[in-house]
Amino acid sequence: MRLQSDTTKRMLEIRNLHATIGGKEILKGIDLTIGEGEVHALMGQNGAGKSTLSYVLAGHPAYEVTEGSITFRGKDLLALSPDERSHEGLFLSFQQPVEIPGVPMAKFMQTALNAKRKYEGLEPLNAADFLKLMRERRKVVELDSKLTSRSVNEGFSGGEKKRNEIFQMAMLEPRLAILDETDSGLDVDALRIVAEGFNRLRKPETSAIVITHYQRLLDYLKPDFVHVLINGRIVKSGGPELAADIESHGFDQFLQ
Amino acid sequence: MNAATQYIELFEAERQRIDSHAPAPLNDRRPFAAEAFRRLGFPSRKVERYKYTDVSEAFAPNYGLKLDAEPLQADEQLLRKYYGTLANVEADGITALNTMLVQDVVVIHIPANTTKELPIQLTNTLRSSVPLMQNRRLLIIAEEGAQAQVILNDHAEAGQDFLTTQVTELFVGEGANVEFYDIEDTHERCHRFHQVFAQVQAGGRFTHATFTLAGGLSRNQTDVCLVGPQAQATLLGSAITNLNQHVDNNTLIDHRAPEGVSRELYKYVIDQQSTGAFAGRVLVREEAKKTDSIERNANLVCTDEARMWTQPMLEIYADDVQCSHGSTVGQINDEALFYMRQRGVSDAEARMLLKQAFASEVLAAVPLEPLRLRLAALIEKRFRNCEDCKLCKK
Ligand SMILES: Nc1ncnc2c1ncn2[C@@H]1O[C@H](COP(=O)(O)OP(=O)(O)OP(=O)(O)O)[C@@H](O)[C@H]1O
Ligand SMILES: [Mg+2]
Repeated sequence: MRLQSDTTKRMLEIRNLHATIGGKEILKGIDLTIGEGEVHALMGQNGAGKSTLSYVLAGHPAYEVTEGSITFRGKDLLALSPDERSHEGLFLSFQQPVEIPGVPMAKFMQTALNAKRKYEGLEPLNAADFLKLMRERRKVVELDSKLTSRSVNEGFSGGEKKRNEIFQMAMLEPRLAILDETDSGLDVDALRIVAEGFNRLRKPETSAIVITHYQRLLDYLKPDFVHVLINGRIVKSGGPELAADIESHGFDQFLQ
Repeated sequence: MNAATQYIELFEAERQRIDSHAPAPLNDRRPFAAEAFRRLGFPSRKVERYKYTDVSEAFAPNYGLKLDAEPLQADEQLLRKYYGTLANVEADGITALNTMLVQDVVVIHIPANTTKELPIQLTNTLRSSVPLMQNRRLLIIAEEGAQAQVILNDHAEAGQDFLTTQVTELFVGEGANVEFYDIEDTHERCHRFHQVFAQVQAGGRFTHATFTLAGGLSRNQTDVCLVGPQAQATLLGSAITNLNQHVDNNTLIDHRAPEGVSRELYKYVIDQQSTGAFAGRVLVREEAKKTDSIERNANLVCTDEARMWTQPMLEIYADDVQCSHGSTVGQINDEALFYMRQRGVSDAEARMLLKQAFASEVLAAVPLEPLRLRLAALIEKRFRNCEDCKLCKK
């Protein structure tokens, strides 16, 4: 295990983050620092606030940040719109990806990719180059071409939706990927394909927050740090051995 | 002076000029129409089918009557046989007004068992240096086993007031197949009233698709009568509105014979302070046994100021039928919007894609493929303009 991110460049810094939804406080003072190239696993009971944290990071308008700060690559993340956060390199693989009937997958990805390129001052990809890239990235996660010719997630199985999330990640090449239970819904083989695909696509400086309830995904992704989120707070941080500990002993040990 | 009187006086004053400009079968019907119009006047909102649209403002200005230099030419024999036989002047003030003042007629006749290989396209581009009213008729006669596709395109030059009344009568013969497309792409100073009357004989098929892309007040009243067994009707409608637009689609599908099939899908995307209305009545008469009918109206209301009224109606007097009807009014799906923005799509672009997606279902049901593709492009352009002006306002 590497030492806490002092030596590496900081990617994300969350300080005393409090967030509410519908007036109810869900995040109650989160502190978390993620360095370039680090993989952090986030574990915790159902309803602890893991997805809430990922939504707040991505800028979901239903959540209100009441206290604290988030710095992403030196920028005030909270001042950016969800699409700007995306352009800056933040990607969220949703726990429950939304179905968007009538919006073709390929058109959606082309729009997203070209919006990012515009943000970076690049010309839009032409149709041929886009299709080539799509074909190449689809292969990495072994996503059936039938799926990219359909509407976004419409009628996809649970596993297909998750695979499609990682495909989109592969297209957008984020700096920080948040995987919110990407393993749930994937069968054993699909999990391996998706995890190996993720590892293959990762650059050394790509960071990740991996939210999961299971050891299996972490076996592939090899987190540098593991955090335990209970009732809106990180109550324990450690190395990969913490995940194994949770797998065998549960969360009782962290509850007072 | 009330608006109705103004048009009656116009008719009386211009009667000779009007008559000398049109073939006799049109002129023969004018007196009856004038009488009916005198009695009915313009429909108020108390008239059931007009309860969602106030027509008075559209007809208030005095447009006068401009006639083309050339007198109208049309097959008088066909006119005598068909003209005005479906469009009942006694039932509707606007149909009566149109029949009284009609100054333009197009007759499309497809003889028995012939197929028009290419669609017939009628494009009206309104251009005028003064405010202009026009009263048009379209007669489509598809005899037994005939097949045709007719596209009606309405455009208008910007910066002028236009008022159009159009009455279309369609005769779909036994086993005939007619597709009738109506695309209205004008601007907020154009008001249009389109009354469609269709009659479908045994085994005939009629598809009518209405695309209201831009306009001021647009009202389409569509009556389809399935008079022979196993006749089929498909009514499709797509309305995309913004600014102060108002779109009212009012339909009646009258099942009068057994084993008829009707499908109806109308979708509206209502933006800014525009308003929409849909009222669709499906009437299954006692003799229309084994009728199969589905009617659906779905609406996307994009702002707090936008309004939609929807009223699907189903009246069944026959046994052994399969009928359903329903409507929904919804807003942009916030979770879908957030998902798209997370992937880097801007708010405006994401909304545009969601609106386009919503409208795409009607498009997908259009059988004529080249038109479907053309319309998809027109609709995208329409949404982009709409978004652009929104963006400018910010
Ligand atoms: N709109 C809402 N109003 C009130 N409470 C909400 C709302 N949305 C979520 N919550 C609550 O916020 C809490 C945290 O939910 P969150 O989805 O972040 O949990 P999680 O840690 O991701 O759980 P899981 O492991 O089940 O995915 C839960 O108690 C949930 O019920
Ligand atoms: Mg969760």
